[in-house]
Amino acid sequence: MRIKIDHIAKIEGHAGFVADIVNGRAEKALFSVLEGSRLLEGILRDRKCAEVSQIAARICGVCPVVHNLTSLKALEGALGVEVSGQTILLRKLMMLGQIINSHALHVFFFSLSDFFGIENDLGLIERYPQKAQQALAIREFANKIIEIIGGRSIHPLTPEVGGFIRLPKTESIKQIGENAKKILPQAIELARFFAKLNYPKFERETNFVSLVNAKEYPIYEGELSINGKQKYALKDFMQLVKEAQVSYDGVKRTSIEQNSYMVGAIARINNNHKQLNKEAKKILKASRIKLPSKNPFHNILAQAVEVVHCFEETMKIVKTCHLESFDFSQDKLREGSHRRHEGDSSASPQNDKISAGSGYGAIEAPRGTLFYFYEVGENGLVENCNIITPTAQNIARLEEDLKIWLPELQNFPEKEIQDKIRMLVRAYDPCLTCATH
Amino acid sequence: MKKPTICITSLTCCEGCQIAILDLGERFLGLAGKIKIGDFAFLEERPESETFDIAFVEGAPITEKNKERLLDLRKRSKVLVALGACACLGGIAEIKDYQDKNERVRYVYKNIESIENPDIIPLRDLVKVDLEIPGCPINKEEFLDIVKKLIMVVSQGLLMEQMPKPAQRPVCYDCQLKRNVCLLQEGLLCLGPMMLGGCGAPCPSSGYPCDGCRGPLKNVNPDNLNRQLIKQGYSQQEIDMILQRFGVLEEIYPMPPSAT
Repeated sequence: MRIKIDHIAKIEGHAGFVADIVNGRAEKALFSVLEGSRLLEGILRDRKCAEVSQIAARICGVCPVVHNLTSLKALEGALGVEVSGQTILLRKLMMLGQIINSHALHVFFFSLSDFFGIENDLGLIERYPQKAQQALAIREFANKIIEIIGGRSIHPLTPEVGGFIRLPKTESIKQIGENAKKILPQAIELARFFAKLNYPKFERETNFVSLVNAKEYPIYEGELSINGKQKYALKDFMQLVKEAQVSYDGVKRTSIEQNSYMVGAIARINNNHKQLNKEAKKILKASRIKLPSKNPFHNILAQAVEVVHCFEETMKIVKTCHLESFDFSQDKLREGSHRRHEGDSSASPQNDKISAGSGYGAIEAPRGTLFYFYEVGENGLVENCNIITPTAQNIARLEEDLKIWLPELQNFPEKEIQDKIRMLVRAYDPCLTCATH
Repeated sequence: MKKPTICITSLTCCEGCQIAILDLGERFLGLAGKIKIGDFAFLEERPESETFDIAFVEGAPITEKNKERLLDLRKRSKVLVALGACACLGGIAEIKDYQDKNERVRYVYKNIESIENPDIIPLRDLVKVDLEIPGCPINKEEFLDIVKKLIMVVSQGLLMEQMPKPAQRPVCYDCQLKRNVCLLQEGLLCLGPMMLGGCGAPCPSSGYPCDGCRGPLKNVNPDNLNRQLIKQGYSQQEIDMILQRFGVLEEIYPMPPSAT
């Protein structure tokens, strides 16, 4: 039996699926990505450090913040630039906004209709008008955070090597805190709804990879960990990850010691759930899922729980920020900003601050750990670059899941098999524009 | 009045322009009530409509499948609108065309046989484009405004020529409305004077100089701005590097520089 889906909707980017089931076994199960290669790692070379993070943000319109910031972190590593505590707080706020808006889009608009067999979100919105409003309010709140700090929610403008080209008004940050408090109950209600959904039962052993950090539920910084046990420094971990090209699309599948692994909300919850904020913990507990969960469908629930966590975290960070007004003098490389680098670098007083080197950056993007590597030359231009995105890491596991799950499904009518495949693919929340880049 | 059938779709890109449309939130839902969604993969999984009154296409045609899709959409659509920098200019994917694109593909992939690596061209080089909504990403307010007008034009059976044209004003116009300090006068490499406004100047308003994501004004002469920037200490090469960012360089100069 051949199962073929030409195009899977409600994911970022384009992908299809084909599998052959022979004698009760899936002979092959290929998730093929139909995205052109934009050669990002290639085109960033020979360009200035001051502009590559802006170009890298264009890898993804759903999660531009994480590409922008991870690129900056890797550059800061390469150039030996330290950023202030203030910069880290503001970047974390942007990250929280990014995770909330991406998750809200995925759980409500992409995934929820799968649980009710609805093919059209407008039908879903008619059936759950209040939930739709909540999802929209949550997304709008999150976009506003990014806009206030980043200048724009899609492809933010202000982050630069060493800090920000423009700082937000203290007043606006306070506003974020007040809005978070106001909308948190809606996020909780939405997450409770997801905690009660009936998730398909499909479990498979796998390794879960995420950042870990003794101080907090990590999204912006930390060491890398597999299953919350072994820990690795970023540089060592990135060398552990092997990328391999396949013949049927432009996404390099990744493995660690020949094994596939999973990143994303469920990996983070499995590895770090003890550090979730209070309300998020309550919802997780009420859902009665057993941790660590080996069920990829639980990624949807994990995202809903993280939305609540991120609201609570936003309130915490705003509290930390609110005592002081923002101050450029806190950033060490303030003078080495975008402004000067864009100018003639030989005439720039900052020129002598550029030193050749290489640097690594990792962040917890909505879909999982995102890695950047840069090598910068004496002339301040990028010489080498590597980007490993969450979806590129997850596809290998997704393909294995499909191969194992399909034979179990083969007695269902074909339409139902297709719907289930689509549902599993969407549970991973793949972003194929990121994966190919 | 019959509801017009709309398609919102993408070729190869970041899909940020579609996200901008979703970010209209309640206002998008209001709009959705006035149209029939013939295809919008972000919101539905149904088979596409046979024909569309208006097709919005974002992204660059990189793969053969992208090109087939574009040609097919053109045949099936009364009005085809290019959405965003990738569709209108080529976008960031075009940067490789100013470099050695064959070296670039070998840098990224070991086996390059299966990787399609064409020159990146805007949609209008492949099909007739009725309207371009520029920007990286698009300005969602501008999009909403244009869509409302388009729906009126299409549902009243008017010709596209009767569609109100966006004004040819530079980004500086938007910037002054925002009462921004002029970044060019501050000594920054801002391309606002030769780039098409209508964006609301979000970049200069954040202290980030205009890098031309909406493309140049029609028939703009870049010489004056170039002279001024060179006087301020920038090199032509630096200016050109920024013009490469969204595939603008050959839109301004009649002949593109040959790849090095």
